[in-house]
Amino acid sequence: MILGERLQSKAVLWPFEYLGGELIKVSTTLSRFFDYLSEMLITLMTPPFRFKEFVTQLYLIGYKSTPVILFSISFAATATILEYAFHMKLVIQTAALVPGFAALLVFRELGPVITAFLLTSKVGAGMNAELGTMQITEQVDALKLLSVDPMRYLVVPRFVATILSSVVIVIFADATCLFFEMVMSVRHLDYSWEGFLTAMNQFTQFKDFYLGLVKAAVFGAVIPTIACFYGFNTQPGAEGVGRSTTQSVVSNAVSIIIMDFILTYLFSYLY
Amino acid sequence: MLEVKNLTKRFGSQEVLKGISLAISEGEILFVLGRSGTGKSVLLKNIVGLLKPESGQILLEGREISKLSEEEYFEVRKMCGMVFQHPALFDSLTVYENVAFGLRRHFPGMTPEEVKKRVTECLDLVHLEGVEDKLPPQISYGMQKRVSLARTIAVEPRYLLFDEPTTGLDPVTTNAINRLISELSRKLNTTSIVVSHDMHCALEIADRIAVLDQGQLIALGTPSELLKSQVPLVKDFLAEITEEDRSRWLS
Repeated sequence: MILGERLQSKAVLWPFEYLGGELIKVSTTLSRFFDYLSEMLITLMTPPFRFKEFVTQLYLIGYKSTPVILFSISFAATATILEYAFHMKLVIQTAALVPGFAALLVFRELGPVITAFLLTSKVGAGMNAELGTMQITEQVDALKLLSVDPMRYLVVPRFVATILSSVVIVIFADATCLFFEMVMSVRHLDYSWEGFLTAMNQFTQFKDFYLGLVKAAVFGAVIPTIACFYGFNTQPGAEGVGRSTTQSVVSNAVSIIIMDFILTYLFSYLY
Repeated sequence: MLEVKNLTKRFGSQEVLKGISLAISEGEILFVLGRSGTGKSVLLKNIVGLLKPESGQILLEGREISKLSEEEYFEVRKMCGMVFQHPALFDSLTVYENVAFGLRRHFPGMTPEEVKKRVTECLDLVHLEGVEDKLPPQISYGMQKRVSLARTIAVEPRYLLFDEPTTGLDPVTTNAINRLISELSRKLNTTSIVVSHDMHCALEIADRIAVLDQGQLIALGTPSELLKSQVPLVKDFLAEITEEDRSRWLS
């Protein structure tokens, strides 16, 4: 009877205990994250800046990631223009608006967002696993013992290099997308090269392009910040590194989607 | 001189160090023994500022260092070198670059020739030759531990802290590393704290031995004093010591 009552009260309390526990976990993680973020921003704004590490990261993040991103995004661009053409022909019986809409989508969404997702999986996951392994094998402690600030040596160069790389890759990604959309339009929608560009110019403005670059810079800042945070908080063991990488990729993906919504909403006031 | 006074460290509700007090004189080799999870590594990490104690004091040459900021600690760490449980070598750097890494940070005025000379000296001290251009994963675990030791002594610290330096090594390499610790401490006249499970090695090279149990210091003394100890855990640790060795150390 007593056992039954205990089990009953446990069953009643369980959801509250669970929710309370989760709430404490989330608030602790957020508090740690904001401490880390403020430390990173202070370090970013104070000298010295580790230029050599920045150049290394620029090579690893920017140069090494560009081919795979451009390759992947070209398929996304061609799929988009085919979808647009199909639906516009179905609904308004013409493909005349396709280049304009497709270019708008490339500049404002497709270019920065797909690039950010690809950077998250290629660069963010790699950064997280690298820092996580350094953390659990005491390499981060060894850096501190050699009077090197891990924030300045590991995080800040990656942060600045990812922002710069993201912006440059998005410029190339936009150009690649437009090129493949143009090819698709000429081959399948009976457009001429000039006709595509003229139709595109009617709909797009220069600010569509640079607001896309602002998004690229913001996503470029989000990716290393989250990846390095989870890297520094990696628990020992292969499972710990795996869990940390998963958390980092998922948090980055969710943050990019939320930031995309916020920026799109803010930019809507500029039109 | 390094002094630890009433040091307490807690992780959540678990108290790992419960008021530890120790004093280590200049040039001394102190071994800290104890079962796993008794706070030995936590003690070392508190001394070098990788962890902050809840209460108590750490005095390095008379200066209280436990409340220093991370940047202020950088100065203290120039005096303290630590060899970690893992070799903790930077994977993307060669053996040479690993050893030179701290030198370039601590002595920015050193010329490349001086750095090279010092790196060669340190690798010689740990009996390593011809591995300068290799990456850490390309050499054995025992060699990585010795490179880690070379990197630590390269910056000429006055205090050397070893966190289980022989864990995961075969008996031959274990003996070699233990001999190295003794040789280096005597040659460089450094003050050393060695966290270990190896009572045999502690009796061989320590000036004094401290035994921790559940975050408390339960025994402290010279090897011959420890051999006469009646503390149950110390007796357990001494169980592996043969009578022959016991009488040799007592004499």
